[in-house]
Amino acid sequence: MANDVELLKAIAARDEAALAQLYDLYRVILFGLLMRILNNREEAEDVLQEVFLQVWRRAADFDENRGRPFTWLVTLARSRGIDRLRTLAARERVATAGAQDEAKAVSDATSDAFRSEQREAVNNALAQLPDEQKRLLLLAYFDGLSQSEIAARVGAPLGTVKTRMRAGMMKLRQLLAGKGSDLGF
Amino acid sequence: MVHEDYKEMIPAHALSTLDSADERALNEHLEACAECRRDLTEWEAVAASLSLTADPVTPSAQLRERILDRVHTEPRYGSEKSPVNVLALPSPRRNLWNSLGSLGSIAAVILFAALIIAVIVLWQQNRTLREQNETFQLLTAPGTRVAQLSGTPEASGATAKLAYDQNGRAILIADGLPRAPAGKEYQLWFIVNNKPVPGKTFAPDNRGRGIVRDQVPAAARKSAVFAITLEPAGGVAAPTGAIYLRGEL
Repeated sequence: MANDVELLKAIAARDEAALAQLYDLYRVILFGLLMRILNNREEAEDVLQEVFLQVWRRAADFDENRGRPFTWLVTLARSRGIDRLRTLAARERVATAGAQDEAKAVSDATSDAFRSEQREAVNNALAQLPDEQKRLLLLAYFDGLSQSEIAARVGAPLGTVKTRMRAGMMKLRQLLAGKGSDLGF
Repeated sequence: MVHEDYKEMIPAHALSTLDSADERALNEHLEACAECRRDLTEWEAVAASLSLTADPVTPSAQLRERILDRVHTEPRYGSEKSPVNVLALPSPRRNLWNSLGSLGSIAAVILFAALIIAVIVLWQQNRTLREQNETFQLLTAPGTRVAQLSGTPEASGATAKLAYDQNGRAILIADGLPRAPAGKEYQLWFIVNNKPVPGKTFAPDNRGRGIVRDQVPAAARKSAVFAITLEPAGGVAAPTGAIYLRGEL
């Protein structure tokens, strides 16, 4: 099986089968991420489609010297998900409030590109962070809030939020060091 | 700020959580600092690892087919914003007076300017063609729905069509609308269960024609009332003005 970098090169050369293969590898992780951000199945599928259409259009822009395919795809999906979240928030989310779906975890190991031990490593690392650091990182990552918005949300001074976020990220990097080459460490 | 100050901001930048002023300042620094760009690559990987704390969820089987159908039929675009993996580097500065030091250079500058103008014209034409192509694709896509909006007594001669595909990509084409007064624009609304959800605003041209692209909220795609009101320019969160056009599906 081709590795992810080779798949992206093939997609850049308009290989539809390579896109299908990349989709099969990443659909579960990316859809789980979008469900966590949007909490709405229909919106999450819509954004996942946008993400793979952008991969199709822009695969040639991927530069393996600037990070792993995992980071590129996850960053792209998260960015699109947060954009959609803000659009929905601007519309006060009234229309989707009744259509929210519970994210149902599934066991789909054959198609999930990431072995459970990598998930476990990240969850274990996060569990070792002090609660006040962990909360800030998750608010930033999944809710797309700025540092000022987070300070207002948690009722802490902006300087404290900045210090705690930085400390949390440094601790996370230290704990994940060497825990999985697919993650880019 | 000095290099070390910027370096401390990079983890937050990787989470895209910096406030806008900090983000602008850091982006300027990143253009000039290779060390910080390398740092950013590492921190982006740390940030991306947080995605693994989300529970894995499987999308519907139909989504795979929809994506592959789309890529099979669509041309590749050239102007979409690049993903974050690629960072633009600063262009080298040129000394204008040196460039003008000879007639050959002057000719080159004129040729370059002509080329730039030609590129801009082609880009505009390409953008127009792309918009027309997108509109055509939307109107002819399987599953596209079209709502007919009729003028209310506020604009009895006005009509509009709102077409949207199964992903909610929509285009509204309105005709016969009165000119919007200064400081006012027309605004599209999606009304679901009697709750209006704001859409985009637009100002019609001299002939009363207005075109606007928007995204129909998921909950409004199966059944909704669509309305156009006159509102303060830029739009409002809840309608305040009279309804000029109305229709439903």
